[in-house]
Amino acid sequence: MADAQFDSALDLLRRLNPRDTKTNLQAITTIVPDLTEDLLSSVDQPLEIRRCPQSNRDYLLCDYNRDGDSYRSPWSNEFDPPLEDGTVPSERVRKLEVAANESFDVYRELYYEGGVGSVYFWDLDDGFAGVILLKKGVTPGSQSSGEWDSIHVFEATDRARMSHYKLTSTVILHLANRSEALGDMDLSGNMTRQVEVDLPVESDASHVANVGRLVEDMELKMRNLLRFHTIEEVYFGKAKDVVGELRSLGPLSDANRDRETQREMIMSMQK
Amino acid sequence: MASTVELASSFIEGAPPGELADVVADVQALTEGEDIIPSLLPAFKRYNEAQLAAVKLPGSSQEVGFAREWSMSAVKLTFAGKVIVSGFNELEDNRYFDPESQISFEVDHTTQTASAAQSYALESDHADLIKSLLKSFGVHAREHYPNCSYGVYPIENDTVIAIVLVANRYSPNNFWNGRFRAIYQLPVSSSSSTLTGNIHVDVHYYEDGNVALNTTKPVNISIASVSAESIVSRIAAAERDYQEALNRAFVQTSEGVFKGLRRQLPITRQKVEWEKVGGYRLGQDISGGKGR
Repeated sequence: MADAQFDSALDLLRRLNPRDTKTNLQAITTIVPDLTEDLLSSVDQPLEIRRCPQSNRDYLLCDYNRDGDSYRSPWSNEFDPPLEDGTVPSERVRKLEVAANESFDVYRELYYEGGVGSVYFWDLDDGFAGVILLKKGVTPGSQSSGEWDSIHVFEATDRARMSHYKLTSTVILHLANRSEALGDMDLSGNMTRQVEVDLPVESDASHVANVGRLVEDMELKMRNLLRFHTIEEVYFGKAKDVVGELRSLGPLSDANRDRETQREMIMSMQK
Repeated sequence: MASTVELASSFIEGAPPGELADVVADVQALTEGEDIIPSLLPAFKRYNEAQLAAVKLPGSSQEVGFAREWSMSAVKLTFAGKVIVSGFNELEDNRYFDPESQISFEVDHTTQTASAAQSYALESDHADLIKSLLKSFGVHAREHYPNCSYGVYPIENDTVIAIVLVANRYSPNNFWNGRFRAIYQLPVSSSSSTLTGNIHVDVHYYEDGNVALNTTKPVNISIASVSAESIVSRIAAAERDYQEALNRAFVQTSEGVFKGLRRQLPITRQKVEWEKVGGYRLGQDISGGKGR
């Protein structure tokens, strides 16, 4: 029955206001405490920022760099608050993690022109896995604000001269707008997409480039390339279309008269 | 710590348009073994009244489907197939009235169904104004809302008239649902007056995700002469202006805030050259890997 409860919890979070996911997650786990662990690792929430005391640089917090109540900085590999025996990646995977952080720092500057990013890797029996996090907020003027959180989780499974990559990407977007004519408008949500692909691997350096390209393509697709199912389409196109379904700007009688005329024409042609 | 009933109540009241039954099913699964629904009754009632739940009048055969098979003749037959449940038209516990059909009815808030219909005669010093408002507002509503219910009610000891409208479109097969609500109040003590209220639009899209649009637009209109036609024409203008402002806001947000979050492509218009950034070289030690 726990599985059914877990599914119901996910369904509920997919229906209730995405702006309130954190509060609703707490409410669900108060009702069913047994679900806490599973839900925390499968429900994406807006990322929190912390300053790394060693490097004095900001990094992002998520379930993947958490050990107990401490979080590991990608810049220093140290936990804050300090942990004696916190889980860290193997030497090889940490080396990859450092390289990936450097690469995605360039990526973040090029696409986000600011914001905060963090990459965390961990070892698997037959490869490794990781998460790429990107966060940016803007408040142009006091009346509107926007916040973008990208969470890309991947697994890289070793095969001969190849690696199998499975990427699950979630973008959480919060947009708020206020003006005299508009009142309050809040457009918030999250979208998740998945991709699986085999790519050649010559050396460990290939992994960073492969994952980099996968994430770059995924964000490009989610943001705008595909006509459907992009953030642009869903947030601005779909929402506007549904408002148009609810209320017609022009008089419906005109539209219906046209449709009626057309129907009568078709009927008369069929006779 | 909040109780299970309080938490479950917040889920019920937070149900998006057209998805109350799905939320109820999830709540039941999460509270398995408990018969929680009876204790959620107050939450169901608050939800229905705030969301202007539209219920089918008992004994009427009309269904909502007219929106799809709309034609002018069909409208006359089926319009007002559903009546509103709100905080403005409650007579006594869970009994509500509809001035247009002159019927009162009992509502089961958990199932959103009406029963025990009785004829009901409107008692108000402003009955004539209410009747002409129903007529004018009905014409306006049918002209702009393909699937809507509306009501005009005397409230606050017959000193204020409430005008409410709800329009729903549900398309769960395509993972979207939407609701438009307009709630206005007009004091009728003097010949000139100020109409105040709010327009709310809620849209939910949930294919491979969960995206919600929630808006609230306060409305404040001074009415020079309290006549049904002038009131409705001012309301119609305000609603049109609001829809146009909302449509502009989609474009502005997409062109403005959204573009400021993440570029479509880097300023160079080139994708990242992953082999060249970051400086990872096999065999190179970490401290020496910053050769950019």
